[in-house]
Parts: sequence; C-alpha cells; structure tokens
Amino acid sequence: MTISTAPVSDPVGADAPPAPTRRPPRPGRAREWWLGAALVLPALVLAVLFKLVPLVRGVITSFESSSGFGGGEFAGADNYTRMFDDPMVLTSFRNALLVVATLPVWIVLPLILALLIHQRSPGWKFFRAVYFVPYTIAPIVVGIMFRQILAPDGPLNALLRFVGLEPLAIEWLNGRYSALFSLVAVALWSFFGLGVMTYLAGLATIPEETLEAAYLDGAGFFRRLWSVVVPMLRPTVAYWSVLCASGVLIWLFPLIYALTQGGPGDATMLPEYLVFLTTFQFLDRGYGSAIGIALFVFVAVLSIFSVRHMFTEGTRKPR
Amino acid sequence: MNPRHFARIGRYLLTFALVVVAVAAIYPLLFTVVSSVKTQSGFADDPLGLPAGITFENYLEAFRRMDMPRLLLNSLITTLGGLVLSVLAALLVAYAVTKLRFRGGKVVFLLIIVTLTIPSQAIIYPLYQTVLDLGMSGQYQGLILAYAAFGLPLGTYQLAGYFQQVPDELIEAARVDGAGHLTILFRLLAPIATPAIAALAIFNFVWMWNDLLLPLVIMGGSDSKTLMVGVSLLSGQYDVSVPLVSAGLIVALLPVLIVYLVFQRQLVSGALAGSGK
Repeated sequence: MTISTAPVSDPVGADAPPAPTRRPPRPGRAREWWLGAALVLPALVLAVLFKLVPLVRGVITSFESSSGFGGGEFAGADNYTRMFDDPMVLTSFRNALLVVATLPVWIVLPLILALLIHQRSPGWKFFRAVYFVPYTIAPIVVGIMFRQILAPDGPLNALLRFVGLEPLAIEWLNGRYSALFSLVAVALWSFFGLGVMTYLAGLATIPEETLEAAYLDGAGFFRRLWSVVVPMLRPTVAYWSVLCASGVLIWLFPLIYALTQGGPGDATMLPEYLVFLTTFQFLDRGYGSAIGIALFVFVAVLSIFSVRHMFTEGTRKPR
Repeated sequence: MNPRHFARIGRYLLTFALVVVAVAAIYPLLFTVVSSVKTQSGFADDPLGLPAGITFENYLEAFRRMDMPRLLLNSLITTLGGLVLSVLAALLVAYAVTKLRFRGGKVVFLLIIVTLTIPSQAIIYPLYQTVLDLGMSGQYQGLILAYAAFGLPLGTYQLAGYFQQVPDELIEAARVDGAGHLTILFRLLAPIATPAIAALAIFNFVWMWNDLLLPLVIMGGSDSKTLMVGVSLLSGQYDVSVPLVSAGLIVALLPVLIVYLVFQRQLVSGALAGSGK
C-alpha cells in the first residue's frame, strides 16, 4: 500500500468533476469542503487505524527477528531470504496458485445455475432459496460438517459405493492432491449460492422486452444467451469476479482450520494459514509478518484490476 | 420428434439438474440435523441412517459446555455493532464522494476501496498488536471496529455505485426546498438505496457472524469470545462425539439461517443493486 495520504491538498481537485454548467456556482464551496472532510472522517479513521497502520507495522515487523516473547531486533531482509529456502512457504504459495487456477469454475458454475433458474422452470423460487442456504452457514461450521461427510466411512463414500463407483471412494482429506481438491470443493459448496444470487440480481435488470424482441427476430436460445444476456450481464460478472479474485484465498482459512490443519504434510498449507501458524503457534512473529506481507502482495496483484474497476464504477459521471 | 417434445425434455432435464444441485446444497445440513438427534451409541451403530429414536440430550449438553447464551449475546453485540458502524461510515463516504464531490474526495474513495486488497490474514499479528495498544483486546469495541473497517471497502463501493445513479437534479431540487445535507442523505438517498443497504446489511451480517479469524485472535479465550470461536473450541475437545458437535453446529448456524429466511425477499431484490446497472 504505497498510496500516500499527503496529496489531499494537491492538484487532485483539478480532476474533480467540473460543476455542471447549468448549476450556478454556489458560495458555500469552502463550507462544503469541511463538510465532505467531516463525512469521510469516520471511514478514514477506521481504514487507517485497522488496515493501514497494521500493514505498516507488519512491514516493520517483517524486518525484525522477533520470535518467542522477546522484543524484535532489526534483522534486515533475513526473513525474506529465509522464505525462498523454506519448502513450506514455497509449497503454500504453489498451493495458492493452484487455488487461484480454479477461479474460472467459481465464475462460470454459478452463472450456469443462475441461467438455469432464470428459465423459470417449476419451483424456481424454491431452488433460488435453497442454493443460498450453504452460504449462510459459517465456514467453520461447514468445515466441521464436511469433516464428517468426507470421512472414509462417511456419506459421500457410502453414496459412491452404492452407485458402483467404489474406486472413487477415497480418503478425501488425506491425499496429496485430493485434500486440496476437497478443500476447494467445500469452499465452492459454501460460496456458490452467493454467486447464483449475484447473477440472478444482474439477470433481473435485463428488460423482458429486449429478450422478446430478440425472440421475435428469430434468435434461438443460445443466440439470445450469447448476444443479449451475456453482454448485458457483464457488470455483474465483473463484480462477482472481483469478489472471487480478492476473496478465494481468504475464504479458506476457517475451512483449513476445521478440515485439514494444512495437512496431510503440507498438501493444504496456504499462505493465510501459514501466517497464523507461524505467528501464533511457532511464535515467530517476524517471519510470520514477512509471510503475511508476501501474501498481501500476492492478493494485491490479484485484485488490482478489481480495484480499478471499482474506482471507475464508483466515480463515473452519472449517465 | 418435433420441437415441442424437445422443449419438454429440455424442461425435465433442467428441473432434474436443479434438483441434483439442491440435494447437494441441502444434504450436509440434513445429515448434521439427523446426527444431532442421535444418541452416541445410535450414531456408532448406524452413522448414516435415520435415528432409531430422537433425543435432545446433545443440545442440552452443548448448551452446558459452551455457555451458549453468553456466546450468542457476544456474537450479537459484535455483529450488530460492526454492521451498523460499517454501513453508516460507508453511507457518509459514498454521499461525500458522489454528491458533494469535494476536493480530495476521489483520493479518499480510492484509499478506502484499495484497503480491500489487505486481507486480515496477511496482517493478523500487527492488527492484534494495534488492538492491544488501543486497550481493546478481549473487548467488544476492538472486534466491532475491526469488523467495521473490514466491511468498509465493499460497502462504500456498492453505495457509491447506487448513489451515482441518482440524478443530481433531484438533490438540487431538495436543496432548493431547504433540505440540509443530512436530510438529503437519510431522507432522500438512503430510502432510494434501501435495496442496496438491505443487501449490504445481510451480507455483512452473514460474514461478521460467521467469521472465525478476527474473533479468534482479538477475543482469544476471553469471556467475550463469539459463538464461532466457541464452536471451534467445542469441536477441538477430545471427548466430544459427532452427535454432540452436530448439535453445537446446528445451534451456531440457526440464527443466520433464520435471518436469511425472514429477509429473503429484501436480499433478492437488493442483491448487488449497485453493480447490476
């Protein structure tokens, strides 16, 4: 976070939207500045105190060797160089990349379900309500629930055996790759309903008439989908992608906590869990902070497009 | 086969697909409910089937072990506090940025939404340190303020997007009629943005109530720990059985489920009102 807070009095005002010509310049301009400043103050205090200050402190701590209960000493870049030799850290970020690689599923699957519900087949309201239920369940609760469901003798394997897919009945939480896969699948189970709801809200803004007109012009189902629905849904897709890109790693913490604790071995170790473990279990605060900063950079790179999108949306002139 | 048949088969396939997903979405919950009313030996004999008899002993035991009323109260206070504070702060910023357009407003807006890129996991220790320095560790206000800060970026973005659509002429007209800024914000803009605020409130309620990391670190094992911390501690105890944990889980998830079922309509109508333009 290198955004400086200094330029408040700087030429920023220059690109503030010019007052519309129809509106006569109001004398209360100066007063309005104070008013604006007062209105943004609570949010600014919150953001600075609970996000920026901790971030800066995290950067400072990451250059210290502070483990155990003692105070920290300056250690230069030791913590950072140590990370590159630490297989646990490298694996955690490789796992993070694997998780990020599943983003298309997070974006497309809820879209398909929303489109299906949007067909208004019988009982669609019921489906809409049911699909959101998993999201309302706390991730820690979801994790503990699925610990039972995915157990070797749990319901999932019982079902697989019952339908004759015996070879698929594996130890879901105990394999090098199956554990990470299970973790992401459970997270997807937990969050897809939010995506469906988001897309449905977007679909609701598409005027019936437009679709009808396309229908009368002879456009078939897929043609309407591709040429009318998808373009009009773009802001919603963008919003949901924003949320997933900046959230997908963050959403996993309670699930790891409840399901795998990072194991077996380091199969489900992700940076966010490693920060917690290093800091609070191994009491290695300097190193934990360094991993935290690395995670921040990783997430920031992922979500920079999201923020740009949000900024243009939020400051765009009204149409 | 004529198109009509085709369409009908398509409908059946569609409904079938929806049913499959619905079963997958709801089954884990049913499994937990069923487990929670089994006796321990009943669960050991037949972990997957329906219970031979229904018992509520597990619920009583879960209440006894977890000090449930206290945990519920703690979760309620911190969630509502964080919720109200973050929505209120977001409302003020969104108004200042989109309607006052004061100097520096854009920078503040950018600064606030940029904090979205700072995940709590990345800064958890320095955050804890800061809360500690403020003398708020183990206290309600520490968690409430942290929740408010973390709920802020999305809330600000969503409300700003919504206010952006309200024509300036409307504001001007109200001002000509003598309305002050707060009147305009709370009497004119807020009602227009009700769907967005409702969706935001439900969204925030769900994540704040369900969050684990922040209360785990900020509240620790203090008397102010939240329900989720309580649940994680219960499931970590060495002697707990699956039925007992299941009962704890059901109690923990019930409040949000109820809120959702009650406010479902607002959620649907307001979900993402800011982005569906």
